[in-house]
Amino acid sequence: MIEIQRTRIDVETVVNSVRRDDAGAIVVFLGSVRSDPEVRALDYEVYKPMALRTLTELVERVKAKFGVLEMSIVHRVGRVPIGGDSVVLACAAAHRSEAFAGGAWAMDEVKRIVPIWKTEAGTRKPRSRRA
Amino acid sequence: MQIQVRLFATYREIVGEGQLAWTLRDGTTVGQLAEAVLAKYPRLLGHGNSMLLAVNHEVVRPDVVLREGDEVALLPPVSGGDR
Repeated sequence: MIEIQRTRIDVETVVNSVRRDDAGAIVVFLGSVRSDPEVRALDYEVYKPMALRTLTELVERVKAKFGVLEMSIVHRVGRVPIGGDSVVLACAAAHRSEAFAGGAWAMDEVKRIVPIWKTEAGTRKPRSRRA
Repeated sequence: MQIQVRLFATYREIVGEGQLAWTLRDGTTVGQLAEAVLAKYPRLLGHGNSMLLAVNHEVVRPDVVLREGDEVALLPPVSGGDR
Protein backbone atom coordinates (compact mmCIF):
# COMPACT_ATOMS: atom_id res chain seq x y z
CA MET A 1 0.00 0.00 0.00
CA ILE A 2 1.63 3.18 -1.24
CA GLU A 3 -0.51 6.28 -1.05
CA ILE A 4 -0.33 10.06 -0.89
CA GLN A 5 -3.49 11.67 0.35
CA ARG A 6 -4.83 14.95 1.64
CA THR A 7 -7.08 13.40 4.29
CA ARG A 8 -6.35 11.93 7.71
CA ILE A 9 -4.46 8.62 7.59
CA ASP A 10 -6.28 5.64 9.07
CA VAL A 11 -3.48 3.84 10.94
CA GLU A 12 -5.34 0.55 11.35
CA THR A 13 -5.90 0.30 7.60
CA VAL A 14 -2.17 0.75 7.00
CA VAL A 15 -1.27 -1.87 9.62
CA ASN A 16 -3.79 -4.39 8.27
CA SER A 17 -2.39 -3.95 4.76
CA VAL A 18 0.92 -5.60 5.79
CA ARG A 19 -0.46 -8.50 7.85
CA ARG A 20 0.59 -11.96 6.68
CA ASP A 21 0.49 -15.37 8.32
CA ASP A 22 4.27 -15.70 8.03
CA ALA A 23 4.97 -12.26 9.56
CA GLY A 24 5.68 -12.53 13.27
CA ALA A 25 6.50 -8.84 13.69
CA ILE A 26 4.93 -5.62 12.48
CA VAL A 27 6.66 -2.33 13.24
CA VAL A 28 4.62 0.84 12.79
CA PHE A 29 6.04 4.36 12.61
CA LEU A 30 3.89 7.50 12.83
CA GLY A 31 5.39 10.85 11.94
CA SER A 32 3.31 13.46 13.77
CA VAL A 33 3.28 17.24 13.67
CA ARG A 34 4.83 18.46 16.92
CA SER A 35 3.78 21.68 18.63
CA ASP A 36 6.25 24.52 18.48
CA PRO A 37 5.96 28.23 19.31
CA GLU A 38 4.22 30.14 16.51
CA VAL A 39 3.44 26.96 14.57
CA ARG A 40 -0.21 26.12 13.96
CA ALA A 41 0.26 23.42 11.35
CA LEU A 42 2.59 22.19 8.62
CA ASP A 43 1.91 22.47 4.90
CA TYR A 44 3.23 19.58 2.81
CA GLU A 45 3.78 19.91 -0.93
CA VAL A 46 4.42 16.89 -3.16
CA TYR A 47 5.57 16.07 -6.66
CA LYS A 48 3.10 13.22 -6.69
CA PRO A 49 4.03 11.02 -9.68
CA MET A 50 7.69 11.08 -8.70
CA ALA A 51 6.91 10.52 -5.02
CA LEU A 52 4.76 7.47 -5.80
CA ARG A 53 7.46 6.05 -8.05
CA THR A 54 10.18 6.69 -5.46
CA LEU A 55 8.15 5.10 -2.66
CA THR A 56 7.36 2.03 -4.77
CA GLU A 57 11.05 1.52 -5.61
CA LEU A 58 11.96 2.09 -1.96
CA VAL A 59 9.65 -0.70 -0.79
CA GLU A 60 11.22 -3.13 -3.28
CA ARG A 61 14.69 -2.17 -2.04
CA VAL A 62 13.81 -2.66 1.63
CA LYS A 63 12.36 -6.08 0.90
CA ALA A 64 15.55 -7.16 -0.89
CA LYS A 65 17.94 -5.57 1.64
CA PHE A 66 16.33 -6.62 4.93
CA GLY A 67 14.12 -9.59 4.09
CA VAL A 68 11.05 -7.52 4.90
CA LEU A 69 7.86 -9.30 3.80
CA GLU A 70 5.49 -6.35 3.35
CA MET A 71 5.74 -2.60 3.74
CA SER A 72 3.14 0.12 3.40
CA ILE A 73 3.81 3.85 3.39
CA VAL A 74 1.09 6.49 3.40
CA HIS A 75 2.03 10.18 3.38
CA ARG A 76 -0.39 12.98 4.04
CA VAL A 77 0.01 16.27 2.13
CA GLY A 78 -1.64 19.65 2.30
CA ARG A 79 -2.19 21.18 5.73
CA VAL A 80 -1.62 18.86 8.69
CA PRO A 81 -2.54 20.22 12.13
CA ILE A 82 -0.54 19.88 15.35
CA GLY A 83 -0.91 16.29 16.52
CA GLY A 84 -1.86 15.03 13.08
CA ASP A 85 0.05 12.21 11.43
CA SER A 86 1.91 13.25 8.30
CA VAL A 87 3.30 9.81 7.53
CA VAL A 88 2.49 6.24 8.56
CA LEU A 89 4.85 3.39 7.75
CA ALA A 90 4.14 -0.26 8.55
CA CYS A 91 6.79 -2.93 8.13
CA ALA A 92 6.12 -6.67 8.42
CA ALA A 93 8.83 -9.32 8.72
CA ALA A 94 9.24 -12.81 10.08
CA HIS A 95 11.04 -11.47 13.18
CA ARG A 96 11.27 -8.14 14.95
CA SER A 97 14.94 -7.49 14.15
CA GLU A 98 14.27 -7.31 10.40
CA ALA A 99 11.07 -5.33 10.96
CA PHE A 100 12.78 -2.69 13.14
CA ALA A 101 15.85 -2.43 10.89
CA GLY A 102 13.87 -2.29 7.65
CA GLY A 103 11.38 0.21 9.02
CA ALA A 104 14.08 2.54 10.35
CA TRP A 105 16.09 2.41 7.14
CA ALA A 106 13.04 2.99 4.96
CA MET A 107 11.89 5.97 7.01
CA ASP A 108 15.33 7.59 6.70
CA GLU A 109 15.12 7.07 2.95
CA VAL A 110 11.61 8.58 2.80
CA LYS A 111 13.00 11.73 4.38
CA ARG A 112 16.07 11.76 2.14
CA ILE A 113 14.76 11.06 -1.36
CA VAL A 114 10.97 11.38 -1.63
CA PRO A 115 10.03 14.74 -3.21
CA ILE A 116 7.84 16.13 -0.44
CA TRP A 117 8.55 19.53 1.12
CA LYS A 118 7.04 21.20 4.12
CA THR A 119 6.62 24.72 5.40
CA GLU A 120 5.33 25.95 8.72
CA ALA A 121 1.84 27.30 8.25
CA GLY A 122 1.72 31.04 8.73
CA THR A 123 5.47 31.62 8.63
CA ARG A 124 6.14 30.36 5.04
CA LYS A 125 9.63 29.31 5.99
CA PRO A 126 11.00 25.84 5.35
CA ARG A 127 11.03 23.84 8.54
CA SER A 128 14.58 23.55 9.80
CA ARG A 129 14.18 21.67 13.04
CA ARG A 130 14.53 17.91 13.09
CA ALA A 131 11.26 16.01 13.12
CA MET B 1 10.83 21.33 -29.13
CA GLN B 2 8.53 22.02 -26.21
CA ILE B 3 9.34 20.93 -22.64
CA GLN B 4 7.31 21.26 -19.46
CA VAL B 5 9.27 22.47 -16.44
CA ARG B 6 7.81 21.81 -12.97
CA LEU B 7 8.85 23.86 -9.93
CA PHE B 8 8.23 23.10 -6.27
CA ALA B 9 8.37 24.66 -2.82
CA THR B 10 10.91 27.52 -2.63
CA TYR B 11 11.51 27.50 -6.37
CA ARG B 12 7.78 27.74 -7.16
CA GLU B 13 7.46 30.66 -4.76
CA ILE B 14 10.41 32.48 -6.36
CA VAL B 15 9.20 31.98 -9.94
CA GLY B 16 5.56 32.56 -9.05
CA GLU B 17 4.34 29.54 -11.03
CA GLY B 18 4.54 25.78 -10.59
CA GLN B 19 4.81 24.97 -14.27
CA LEU B 20 6.55 26.60 -17.23
CA ALA B 21 6.43 25.74 -20.93
CA TRP B 22 9.93 26.06 -22.38
CA THR B 23 10.98 25.91 -26.04
CA LEU B 24 14.42 24.39 -26.70
CA ARG B 25 16.68 23.47 -29.60
CA ASP B 26 17.13 19.74 -30.29
CA GLY B 27 20.07 18.32 -28.38
CA THR B 28 19.67 20.56 -25.34
CA THR B 29 20.63 18.88 -22.05
CA VAL B 30 18.67 19.16 -18.83
CA GLY B 31 21.62 21.00 -17.31
CA GLN B 32 21.50 23.62 -20.07
CA LEU B 33 17.76 24.00 -19.51
CA ALA B 34 18.34 24.55 -15.78
CA GLU B 35 20.96 27.21 -16.58
CA ALA B 36 18.47 28.97 -18.87
CA VAL B 37 15.79 28.94 -16.16
CA LEU B 38 18.29 30.32 -13.62
CA ALA B 39 19.29 33.06 -16.08
CA LYS B 40 15.67 34.10 -16.53
CA TYR B 41 14.91 33.98 -12.79
CA PRO B 42 18.11 35.24 -11.10
CA ARG B 43 16.64 34.86 -7.63
CA LEU B 44 17.03 31.11 -8.15
CA LEU B 45 20.79 31.49 -8.56
CA GLY B 46 21.49 31.16 -4.85
CA HIS B 47 19.85 27.73 -4.95
CA GLY B 48 21.63 26.37 -8.04
CA ASN B 49 24.18 24.26 -6.18
CA SER B 50 21.59 22.30 -4.23
CA MET B 51 19.11 21.90 -7.08
CA LEU B 52 18.23 18.35 -8.16
CA LEU B 53 17.15 17.71 -11.73
CA ALA B 54 14.51 15.14 -12.65
CA VAL B 55 13.30 14.05 -16.08
CA ASN B 56 10.06 12.10 -16.30
CA HIS B 57 10.01 11.55 -12.51
CA GLU B 58 13.57 10.29 -12.17
CA VAL B 59 16.60 12.16 -10.84
CA VAL B 60 19.18 12.48 -13.63
CA ARG B 61 22.64 13.91 -14.29
CA PRO B 62 22.85 17.31 -16.01
CA ASP B 63 24.19 15.84 -19.26
CA VAL B 64 20.97 13.98 -20.12
CA VAL B 65 19.66 15.15 -23.51
CA LEU B 66 16.00 16.17 -23.51
CA ARG B 67 13.35 14.92 -25.94
CA GLU B 68 10.07 16.38 -27.12
CA GLY B 69 7.38 16.04 -24.46
CA ASP B 70 9.73 15.39 -21.53
CA GLU B 71 8.69 16.67 -18.12
CA VAL B 72 11.56 18.29 -16.27
CA ALA B 73 11.39 19.09 -12.57
CA LEU B 74 13.68 21.42 -10.65
CA LEU B 75 13.69 20.05 -7.12
CA PRO B 76 14.81 21.73 -3.91
CA PRO B 77 16.68 19.32 -1.63
CA VAL B 78 14.50 17.01 0.47
CA SER B 79 17.02 16.99 3.28
CA GLY B 80 17.21 14.17 5.80
CA GLY B 81 15.61 14.52 9.20
CA ASP B 82 13.72 17.55 8.07
CA ARG B 83 10.16 16.32 8.40
